Amino acid sequence: MILDIKERLGKTKYDVDKSYAHITVDESICEKCPHHFCVMACPAQCYTLQDGKLSFQYEDCVECGTCSVACDQGSVKWHFPKAGKGVIYKYG
Amino acid sequence: MPDYDAIVVGAGNAGSAAAITMAQKGLSVLLVDRSDPPGAKNLSGGVLWGNDLARILPKWQNEAPLERFIQDKKIGFLTDKSSIIIDFKTKIFEENKVGYTVLRSKFDPWLAKKAREAGATVIPGITVESLAKKDGKIIGVEESEDIVTASVVILAEGINPRLSIEAGLRGPLQDWEVSVGVKEIIKLSPQKIEDRFNLTSSSGMASEYILGNLEELNVGAFFYTNKDSISLGIVAPMEQLRENGVTHTYDIIEQFKEHPSIAPLIDGGTVAEYGAHMIPEGGLEMVPKLYGDGYMIVGDSAGFGFSNGLVLQGMNYAFLSGILAGETAVEAKGKGDFSSDSLSMYRQKLENSYVLKDLKTFKDIRKVTNNKNMYTTYPKMLESILLEMLWERGQPKKKVRDILGSCAADLKMSKLKTATDFYYIYRRM
Ligand SMILES: Cc1cc2nc3c(=O)[nH]c(=O)nc-3n(C[C@H](O)[C@H](O)[C@H](O)COP(=O)(O)OP(=O)(O)OC[C@H]3O[C@@H](n4cnc5c(N)ncnc54)[C@H](O)[C@@H]3O)c2cc1C
Ligand code: SF4
Ligand code: SF4
Repeated sequence: MILDIKERLGKTKYDVDKSYAHITVDESICEKCPHHFCVMACPAQCYTLQDGKLSFQYEDCVECGTCSVACDQGSVKWHFPKAGKGVIYKYG
Repeated sequence: MPDYDAIVVGAGNAGSAAAITMAQKGLSVLLVDRSDPPGAKNLSGGVLWGNDLARILPKWQNEAPLERFIQDKKIGFLTDKSSIIIDFKTKIFEENKVGYTVLRSKFDPWLAKKAREAGATVIPGITVESLAKKDGKIIGVEESEDIVTASVVILAEGINPRLSIEAGLRGPLQDWEVSVGVKEIIKLSPQKIEDRFNLTSSSGMASEYILGNLEELNVGAFFYTNKDSISLGIVAPMEQLRENGVTHTYDIIEQFKEHPSIAPLIDGGTVAEYGAHMIPEGGLEMVPKLYGDGYMIVGDSAGFGFSNGLVLQGMNYAFLSGILAGETAVEAKGKGDFSSDSLSMYRQKLENSYVLKDLKTFKDIRKVTNNKNMYTTYPKMLESILLEMLWERGQPKKKVRDILGSCAADLKMSKLKTATDFYYIYRRM
């Protein structure tokens, strides 16, 4: 019953907007970030560290807004996805 | 002339309740939501206390898509190996059915439909991009460079209020103002649910836990029964997560599921959905200015919610604040005055209701939910006391007073510190 996060995210329905990233990060700011707290806070594992470098993907985002608060360095630019795109909960 | 009397941004609990209230009184109302159908991006634990809904929808209990009425309410503490639960099952809940589990993707479209039936224009699938302002007043909303105007805009954006922040109606959210809620839906047959939790086909169980099994993190958890699924999840304050700095939010929920007292309850179930959403946690201090020329702020956007580790409520505050803002708009229309002065009635109404009364009564609750002992030390202390009292190990028995003393010593707490801490918590709960 304990599932890897990727497997859990696989259960959730999305209509991913391939042409528009609703959240972006500024790599030059992340490089100097003292904590990379987004990696711990994001419930959808959109933020990961690879060889000490932050990597971000928006496709699995569940639009919770957590990273807009968790990033206190001004790197995250947060918008809603374009209408109808993004996560679509069947239960909620 | 503005296009509408009122535009409501967000068809969650608060927005739809406001729209229904106004449309029922003949106002022209536009209700917009960024998801289609409305609600498809909303997530809640799922216990809805619907007292206030009866004010605008007297037959809600018969018509709304509800899961199970809450007959059994549990609150408990978990430690690594134990669970200590108060199980409150009462005929009173059965005779006065007001608490129900809900799934927002079913409930929200129904509530928005009720707004449409009352006469509101409901447009799903539109993300409002910004608020239109003129001479310092909010005069409408903007989307794709179109401006739609209204005498009043009701901001029901939820806990991630981009428009209010962008327009300077509230500051950006701070750590202390929010928790991260992470939730899973576990499919389980109605038969299993009813057998496992001793329920009938319509009754349900709602449990809230303090997770004393996590080191250095004050986290609460919930476990609710739906018709054919379980809603379970965790609520982790952002401040705690940052201070801790080494725990992934997505792992905490699995730790909860793995607990020896939780795992058997979901045995045989399958994960059907995973999601997350923030929760207002800042209490009275996070409440922004609630109204101004041409606008009012309702629900989570206004910071209305209540949680003390064992109770988690926001939908009821959303309904009531939406209704009160709706009533204020109806009165403002009567006076032909949507100025800040006129809309100040909204604040007055909130002051007279449980919304602001609760926030005032529990203005220091964060000091309890931030108290590390409450989550780590006291659950262990309770466990030790119960072990001493209930586990026969062939050793001389102790009086409760002595048990308490030795537990406090084991956990490196002085008796005085424990006593003052208890008093402190008791005063604020
Ligand atoms: C894990 C979890 C468990 C919870 N458990 C409970 C519980 O058991 N009981 C309880 O009472 N409360 C619970 N709550 C709290 C409750 O869910 C919220 O308080 C409640 O949903 C707030 O209602 P709202 O209408 O203010 O906001 P929401 O329900 O969030 O509605 C806001 C709406 O606005 C829309 N929107 C936002 N911005 C725009 C825009 N720019 N344009 C168009 N649309 C927009 C959103 O898509 C959304 O539909 C829980 C919350 C969480 C996260
Ligand atoms: S917290 Fe902000 S600055 Fe730091 S790594 Fe994450 S996104 Fe970048
Ligand atoms: S909004 Fe939530 S899910 Fe999306 S990237 Fe940010 S933290 Fe992750």
